[in-house]
Amino acid sequence: MNALKSITVALVLAISTSFYAQTADEIVNNYFENTGGKENWEKLEGITMKGVMKMQGMEIPFEQVMMKDGRQSTTIELQGNKMIWAAYDGKISWSRNQQTMEAEKSDNEATENMKKQTKDWPSPFLNYKEKGYAIELIGKETVDGTETFKIKVTKDPITVNGQSQPNISHYYFDTENFVPIIIEEEIQEGPMKGQKIKMSISDYQEVEGLYFPFSQSSQFQSMDFKEFDLNPEVEASLFAFPEGK
Amino acid sequence: MNKQFIIASLAILFSIHLQAQEVVLKGKELFGNLEARQIGPALMSGRIIDLENHPTNDRILYAGTAGGGVWKSSNGGASFSSVFDDHAQSIGVVKIDPNDPDNTIWVGTGEIWTRNSVSIGDGLYKSTDGGANWKKMGFENSERIGSIEINPKNSNEIYVGVLGALWGDSEERGVYKTVDGGKTWNKILYVNEKTGVNDLIMDPNDPNTLYAAMWEFRRTAWGFNSGGPNSALYKSTDAGKTWNKIHNGFPKGDLGRFALAIAPSNSKIVYAVVESKEDKGLYRSDDAGASWKLLNGDFGLVVRPFYFSRIVVDPKNPDILVKGGLFGSISRDGGKTFKNLGSMHPDIHDVVFDINNSDRMYVGTDGGVYRSWDGGSTMDMVDNLPISQFYHISVDNEEPYNIYGGLQDNGSWWGPSSSPGGIEARDWNRVGYGDGFRVLKHPTKNIIYSEMQGAQNVWRYDVDKNYTKNIAPLPIKGEADLRFNWNAPMAVSNHQPDRFYMGSQFLHVSDDMGDNWKKISPDLTTNDPAKQDKESGGISTDKSGAETHTTIFTIAESPIDQKVIWVGTDDGNVQVTQDGGATWTNTVANIQGLPKNTWVYHIEASSHHKGTAYAVFDGHASGDMNTYVYKTSDFGKTWKSLVTDEIIGFARNIQEDYVNEDLLYLGTEFGLFITINGGKNWSRFTNNMPAAAVHFIDLQKKTNDLVLGTHGRGVIIIDDISPLRQINQEILVKDVHFFDPKPSIIKEEGGFGGGSTELQFIGDNPSSSAKIIYYLKKRHTFGKMTLSVQDQNGTEIVSLVPGKAKGINIVTWNFRKKGPKVAAGKTFTFSGFTAPRASAGTYKIVLKKGKKQYESAITLQNDPTSLISEKDRIAHNKTTQELFNDMEDLAYLVHKIDQNIKKAEAVLKKVPASQKVTSAVVKELNALKETLVVTTGDNYVDEAEPQLREKLSDLYGEVAEQFEKPSFAQLENQEVLEARLNEAKATYEKINGKQIAKFNKYLEKSGETPAKILSKEEFIKK
Repeated sequence: MNALKSITVALVLAISTSFYAQTADEIVNNYFENTGGKENWEKLEGITMKGVMKMQGMEIPFEQVMMKDGRQSTTIELQGNKMIWAAYDGKISWSRNQQTMEAEKSDNEATENMKKQTKDWPSPFLNYKEKGYAIELIGKETVDGTETFKIKVTKDPITVNGQSQPNISHYYFDTENFVPIIIEEEIQEGPMKGQKIKMSISDYQEVEGLYFPFSQSSQFQSMDFKEFDLNPEVEASLFAFPEGK
Repeated sequence: MNKQFIIASLAILFSIHLQAQEVVLKGKELFGNLEARQIGPALMSGRIIDLENHPTNDRILYAGTAGGGVWKSSNGGASFSSVFDDHAQSIGVVKIDPNDPDNTIWVGTGEIWTRNSVSIGDGLYKSTDGGANWKKMGFENSERIGSIEINPKNSNEIYVGVLGALWGDSEERGVYKTVDGGKTWNKILYVNEKTGVNDLIMDPNDPNTLYAAMWEFRRTAWGFNSGGPNSALYKSTDAGKTWNKIHNGFPKGDLGRFALAIAPSNSKIVYAVVESKEDKGLYRSDDAGASWKLLNGDFGLVVRPFYFSRIVVDPKNPDILVKGGLFGSISRDGGKTFKNLGSMHPDIHDVVFDINNSDRMYVGTDGGVYRSWDGGSTMDMVDNLPISQFYHISVDNEEPYNIYGGLQDNGSWWGPSSSPGGIEARDWNRVGYGDGFRVLKHPTKNIIYSEMQGAQNVWRYDVDKNYTKNIAPLPIKGEADLRFNWNAPMAVSNHQPDRFYMGSQFLHVSDDMGDNWKKISPDLTTNDPAKQDKESGGISTDKSGAETHTTIFTIAESPIDQKVIWVGTDDGNVQVTQDGGATWTNTVANIQGLPKNTWVYHIEASSHHKGTAYAVFDGHASGDMNTYVYKTSDFGKTWKSLVTDEIIGFARNIQEDYVNEDLLYLGTEFGLFITINGGKNWSRFTNNMPAAAVHFIDLQKKTNDLVLGTHGRGVIIIDDISPLRQINQEILVKDVHFFDPKPSIIKEEGGFGGGSTELQFIGDNPSSSAKIIYYLKKRHTFGKMTLSVQDQNGTEIVSLVPGKAKGINIVTWNFRKKGPKVAAGKTFTFSGFTAPRASAGTYKIVLKKGKKQYESAITLQNDPTSLISEKDRIAHNKTTQELFNDMEDLAYLVHKIDQNIKKAEAVLKKVPASQKVTSAVVKELNALKETLVVTTGDNYVDEAEPQLREKLSDLYGEVAEQFEKPSFAQLENQEVLEARLNEAKATYEKINGKQIAKFNKYLEKSGETPAKILSKEEFIKK
């Protein structure tokens, strides 16, 4: 009798847990908890990521630096040439012209939008309210064959071709371990404007107590990370627009 | 409680546990990242129901389509993206909340231009983020929603006009109102179960004033009725509390469907088109509906009200108005006179004026969206709306195979499943006019059969001769007239290439490709005269042939025995002959649970067993939306239902797999469903597959591609479904399982495509790469996972990006190995990015997941159509490899040069006194380097003179890219370049022995280390 009772209780519990409604905040908190703790994420000042980018049949070694203050820089190596391919120093966003290989400034809208992105550090979900972002649990959805919580994050609007437009992304958090496995973003301009691009993220590994996805891939390119360095010492020249060249 | 009971309970639990071990994966869990490919086409596009533009941003526009969902443009109609893939694709109305136009959008589903082929909706939806996410807001059984009106001062106050069910009675019709943003709804105007709201409009200047047009209407499979005593126009001035009929000046007697519009710039001016036996036409009221005056009864205004009942008034000028119609009509004198809109696809359903400039207009037609910049005089079609509505598709056996199909009001076409640069509009060829339905390729000759509505023409098109002949069967002397369905069935024999079948109420067969016909059956239908209505339409007679009933609808000759032929009729008979038509048996009475006279939409004769067939029934035209799928294994003596509640929507088509008879593909009004266990469980396929109505499915035998003809999203293909054949319980419990792949063919082709503009839709090609297909029991999320292609010795050829989804993963390999290490120069050498192709043979596939390793193999085969000999291939590989090595030798040489230069320059900077020894190194090495790589210029018109690297990589790239053995010219060139390379190496050694040696001695003396030069192996690996 007692045995049966406990089985029944267990079944009821099993059912009620699966019906237990999660809120967006709980999911996001679980994510930070499971990937190193919110406090540790808050302490993160910057990262250097080294890896290989695969696109259009090419393998391109890269090194990416991202800092809390928004500065970022991507160095790539192509045919023996190592160069900073694109960077943002907090004021100027620039990249190399593919014909001349010289640095050129991004247009003012792209630079402004880059500035806004600073707040995303290290994740748009970390203290999202202070950033002025909104998050919403859209519901459960199966992606990559896996049950996930679909969470919408609404960031500050961005400006594209002279018009302000909403900036929405969707993150799919695995219901089992609460890490995002897919990030979905909208293409913001050109003939594909409005279409969604999905980035699959995986191969989470621990680096000094924090978990980072060592693999990110979309239909256009994939990035395979070999190394994450936390809180790196960086030189200003890594980000600065190479004037007078 | 006694002991026995406990044991019994435990036994139950135990058995549940046992059952639970059978793994049943549903939907995406099973299909993983097996994805559909949408190939359009968009060149003929499809029917548009409703257009809606943003009230303040002229770049934003929504199009609600008949069968392709909702599309949004954010660039003034230049391009559109689908925003409603997961929901019912048949749209009645799209409405932007004027108080929150960037974010809040409402969609009422279920198209409202009620032709015979319309689909159904499943309620009202709302988005609060500009279409990114949708939430259902009720009205599940409304079937069609035609109007949504929102108080421009209060987003919570919304009115919805429900047109309701087309083929049956329904109480879910009328005007509904919410005051809490859609949480609760009140029905505030209702007439009866036959009469719905065909239009509801709110006075833009007074949200309490509403006009509602009520329409009595009904469709059956054999007729249509528009109008009756309950059709009427109502007005409310108290926010819907009370309603009054406003017919002062309208014709007396029964009325039909209204078209209705208020001039936004003057609320007193209201226009209405009235369907009536007498005095039909456009009425105008200048006193807000108190009285009406007939202005015009031109054809363009009164034609087919059930299909065209939309009037739109210019937002700025109350005297400019447009009426939908066969061609669309525009008036610039307040409705007194009209002229046609500019030339575009006929059947105009909706028009919107640009908010700022009324010369800019958007028009929705049976053939997509058109734009005008000159007030509707000239029209430009949007080329990127792949919402084509196929009734039927078929495939041939060419490589690449072609897809044939007919479309609603858009003729018949065929186009390739793959084309250089993608499947472009120009790749599609027309093979019939009017409404297109079934299109079939002759099995052996370059001949295509196609037809138009009701078999008015049945074309036999000789592609090579560009010659067409009408071969429609004709009535025989002394016998009944032939009744052909609107979508008349035809079939090509599996056994006799020239044999061609057509069905009227009889089955006709021709053994000479349609030149001569023989009747091989009696009337196989019920021949019920009550269902042979020749005066369809109601108030406006509408004789198009679309309602011809009691006809044969599907013909299936057994692939195993040509004497076994199945015929299904639209009035519910399932007839079979086993003697080539001498005797027929109606087997429908043997089917349990099927309502009488339910339309037989498709019969699929099994390719596994002679007596086995599948029958799909569709009762929607009698208001029955249930799913009916049956299987017989004994020529129809007994039938078994294959339906489970996992299937959504009424079904139209089923396809049996050619290899695994338990694998079935079912097309319903809401998408594609697949079973891998003979119908015990069904999974909806949603990977890049919208919830579109699947009208027909074909399975290409060589490629195993599942090809879907959708009625609203064009042709959708799932490339190579063969992994589904292999799935069984044994596989599903494994952590990783590699499916047996077909050998991959290294196709020897390369052509020119492209040329479409960026605003033209281009269908994706299938991947021509090798495929590595595996199943993962669980998605890979934590830890490293790699996928590597290795030769038989375990040396890595290339590393691939593994798929990590739970379920089926498909990883492609483009047959390329790693590219060479290229010498560093100032600019790039584009040929240097070329990676050599792997040779035919068997390769190891190694998947590493954490600490575990899983292996499989893949076989590459040379193109069987190739004329290249094995000896030539060996020669080609040899030269490619030699040039590859030359490239890397050069790269290494340049590395050594660069390292020494760098070191010497650094030392010189630090110790100016070292000038003599360091500058000698720099000078000599730079002189050498300048002959090896480009050190100046850019990648475009300031390009420097090519040096050894550029010349070598051009030759390497060319040779690596080709399949043939190298030409004499190439070999000669190789010799020249290799001589230069060797010379350079020698020069370096000379410098190394002299200037560099001196420099190194100097370094040693000053306690410094020499330049850091990697070993060649280290360098290559770096």
